Amino acid sequence: MREKENGKKAWSPYLAGALTGLLLVASVWFTGKYVGASTTFVRSTGFIERLFIPERVASLEYFKKELPKIDWQFLFVIGIFFGSLIASTTSKTFKLQGVPDMWQNRFGPSKVKRGVAAFVGGAIAMFGARLADG
Amino acid sequence: MTELIYGFLTGVIFGFLLQKGRVIRYDKQMAALRLMDMTIVKFMFTSILVAMVGVYILKDLGLAKLSLKSTVLGGNIIGGLIFGIGWGILGYCPGTQLGALGEGRWDTVWGIIGMHVGAAIFAELYPVMKKTVLTWGDFGKITIPQALGINHWFIIPIFVIGGILLFWWFEKKNL
Repeated sequence: MREKENGKKAWSPYLAGALTGLLLVASVWFTGKYVGASTTFVRSTGFIERLFIPERVASLEYFKKELPKIDWQFLFVIGIFFGSLIASTTSKTFKLQGVPDMWQNRFGPSKVKRGVAAFVGGAIAMFGARLADG
Repeated sequence: MTELIYGFLTGVIFGFLLQKGRVIRYDKQMAALRLMDMTIVKFMFTSILVAMVGVYILKDLGLAKLSLKSTVLGGNIIGGLIFGIGWGILGYCPGTQLGALGEGRWDTVWGIIGMHVGAAIFAELYPVMKKTVLTWGDFGKITIPQALGINHWFIIPIFVIGGILLFWWFEKKNL
């Protein structure tokens, strides 16, 4: 079932995964930091809400627990964007696409339909992630 | 400041490896959920196994501390199920979504906005969740070796061998 991109070689997922494992170990060793991402969404939500309803943000317990601040994980998440940008542009696998292939095969080329689903899915996924504390 | 630079560099390397492993795009995420292509499972499980061994070695040498999150069955199970529904609709994970944006998949923008809405809703409902779901089955900060009362080096090889058998089976089935 696995498809191949002609001439654009992916790394073995075992190799890329093992190197990622070593990266995680190095991070714990040198900085004591364990990786994560979803707390960053809470912090940036706090930033955005604070622009419009600062009193509400100040009153919510969850934003006191996860203060709107730029921390290690915030930069980690931004770094993921740039790392992927570097890897894709240097290997010619960067592709501007607003409707994924598999989605289009099943649900058609509508960008609106895909956008609505992605938005709703994102909201549900983040709610679940925060509930599970992951 | 140094801490922020370390965070950024760690993220850059992580994003680079995610993209090289082809694990961040929608088609790969969905193919895993549809049990058609286990690339992301191979990637994740390999990194978990390597990190598990490495972090426990650091811990035994006194060079690192574990960072445990509480095991709360209510939150973990219900939250996990809700997350799975959202993941299956969106087709991206929270952090790696930024990586998918980095390789040009801009439908992630809608997912990122949606995730902010989801976080805002959770922040509003947190007081209710704290009194209900997040009190159900709270075991505190536990690990499997602790719960079983045995040394972690009896548990770690079981995971490593289990992982290798799983990988062997994936390759046999060409998944």
